[in-house]
Amino acid sequence: MSAVNNSKANSDAFLAINGVTKSFGAVQVVRGADIAISKGEFVSFLGPSGCGKTTILRMVAGFETPTTGRIVIDGKDITDLKPNQRKIGMVFQSYALFPNLTVAGNIGFGLKVAGKARAEIDQRVEEMLKLIGLPELSDRFPWQLSGGQQQRVALARALAPRPAVLLLDEPLSALDAKIRVSLREEIRAIQKELGITTIFVTHDQEEALSMSDRVMVMYQGRIEQIGAPFEVYNHPKTKFVANFVGTLSTMEGTIADAAKGSVDAAGTRFDGVRLPAGATNGAAVTLALRPEALRRDRRDGDLSLSGEIIDVDFLGSVIRIDIKAGGEKLSLDAFNDPTTPPPAIGETMTVHFAPDAVLTL
Amino acid sequence: MTRLLAWIAFLFGALYFALPLIGMTEFSLKMRRGVYSLDAYVKVFADPRFQETFSFSVMMALATIAFGVLLVVPTAYWVRLKMPGARPWIEFVTLLPLVIPAIVIVFGYIRLYNTSSFLPLTGSTTGTNILLMFGYATLALPYMYRSVDTGLRTIDVATLTEAAQSLGAGWVTILSRVILPNVLIAVLSGAFLTFAIVIGEFTMAALLDRPAFGPYMQLLGANRAYEPAALAVIAFGITWACMALIQLLARFAPKPAKPVKE
Ligand SMILES: Nc1ncnc2c1ncn2[C@@H]1O[C@H](COP(=O)(O)OP(=O)(O)O)[C@@H](O)[C@H]1O
Ligand SMILES: [Mg+2]
Repeated sequence: MSAVNNSKANSDAFLAINGVTKSFGAVQVVRGADIAISKGEFVSFLGPSGCGKTTILRMVAGFETPTTGRIVIDGKDITDLKPNQRKIGMVFQSYALFPNLTVAGNIGFGLKVAGKARAEIDQRVEEMLKLIGLPELSDRFPWQLSGGQQQRVALARALAPRPAVLLLDEPLSALDAKIRVSLREEIRAIQKELGITTIFVTHDQEEALSMSDRVMVMYQGRIEQIGAPFEVYNHPKTKFVANFVGTLSTMEGTIADAAKGSVDAAGTRFDGVRLPAGATNGAAVTLALRPEALRRDRRDGDLSLSGEIIDVDFLGSVIRIDIKAGGEKLSLDAFNDPTTPPPAIGETMTVHFAPDAVLTL
Repeated sequence: MTRLLAWIAFLFGALYFALPLIGMTEFSLKMRRGVYSLDAYVKVFADPRFQETFSFSVMMALATIAFGVLLVVPTAYWVRLKMPGARPWIEFVTLLPLVIPAIVIVFGYIRLYNTSSFLPLTGSTTGTNILLMFGYATLALPYMYRSVDTGLRTIDVATLTEAAQSLGAGWVTILSRVILPNVLIAVLSGAFLTFAIVIGEFTMAALLDRPAFGPYMQLLGANRAYEPAALAVIAFGITWACMALIQLLARFAPKPAKPVKE
């Protein structure tokens, strides 16, 4: 009965990972993954190195077998299928183009293996080359391409046989910063155009937040949170997510009045903080603030805190200012104002923020 | 000073190898009294037994190469892919033919596969030829395995395999369309080394009593003066041609893609 319920819960899911764990010997590296991905959705697996992202991806691709749990694509249990029977497109960090084949040969490989007719392969290859914007490179060999070009060819190669699901494992990590940003926009655009269900593995939170419909944050083999980028960033469910996604300043405090949301921290009383349900007076609580939640100008109802400026980083469009107040360090992001030079280290500064912006951990 | 010493050492080495060769070549040209001539070579090439034994050995070499490639490429690939821990052991095994004399191997074969054994290979000509090919493949194993393994090192075997698998390829397709083409140059160097070994091999062919080129050279050497020298020069020429081809082929090796920074 519960099995029926379970499959019902994921009935609208195109790709469902149900209760999957994976152990290598005695070490459990994936400790129970459940996620339902809709058709056409772009989901990122985000987490620090070694948290098990690649392992889950490799189980979906069929390169690893789950220790327990099932993987279902389009209503079909694929857990026991071989990798070459799964119709899954895979893009690797190291591009992994076949060195002996031209760009066209690489892109057409999957279709050739499937026994498609010559004319059909040629047409699809041409289509794919247009899609990745490299129609003039069809006769080049991989070693004649830049990293960014190689990765685009790898993407075209993965997409050419029209896979049900596209998996990308840190596809941009080996590229230069500039290309990384432009290619991630391109990948997202192609994904949307084709409407292909996609899992994108990355340890780069900016990448995950900017590209995804939903982000799945992982830590030590566990899923910490799954949600839209806006959700994960603004309402982190765990301390780990709060710290890993974006920058966060924290203050250790004590609850003075749970009913009024009053907390003592950094030598100041803050009122109107949204406390977790069941908070009791006198209990310890960690207050956390995003750098963009802090302002130099005060608005109605704002909470305020004064401190000494200990660091100023000019980042171009944004200036990050670190202040020390009551023994706690807080970071503030302010937009660059060409008419006003940034403040100097050692000056005193008062920062303001809305009570709603305070996260409690 | 060290440069000078290096040159002296090089010169000494060159002379050590070159002088006997020069002497032998010169001798092979002196069949006709008083003048240099190619008489010895003409005689050798005209000998029907030269043609017979040489073509026998060429055929054996080709068969050995085909067998060696089919044996070594999948093995070396599988070891790299699935049991990297076993590599030192496999390497050790492939090196054994260098320390075990060919005569020991061939006596073992004769004992194991004689006419009263469970698999009487020596009972027929074809059977003996197959046995001889196995022997040659064993002798060539250290060279073949090494060059293929080195070739495999230049490509990312695991990731290329997974890329091909995700595109629907099975093992035969992966081996024939992805792995083999990328180690082809390495395979060919192994093949030429195998060729050179088989053409000159004496012990196994003689003990299995097959009409190969090695025993023919020995026979000729025992009975003639100028022809063996000519034959030796020819044999050297074949070996060197093989080496030159290996060098030449190295230039056409598929280039690895630009290194990925980690
Ligand atoms: N084949 C394997 N054998 C043993 N341990 C492995 C294997 N593959 C991965 N691991 C371990 O599993 C953990 C998770 O790895 P991985 O999924 O690659 O992490 P991520 O991709 O998040 O960086 C790591 O500690 C890694 O060392
Ligand atoms: Mg990884």
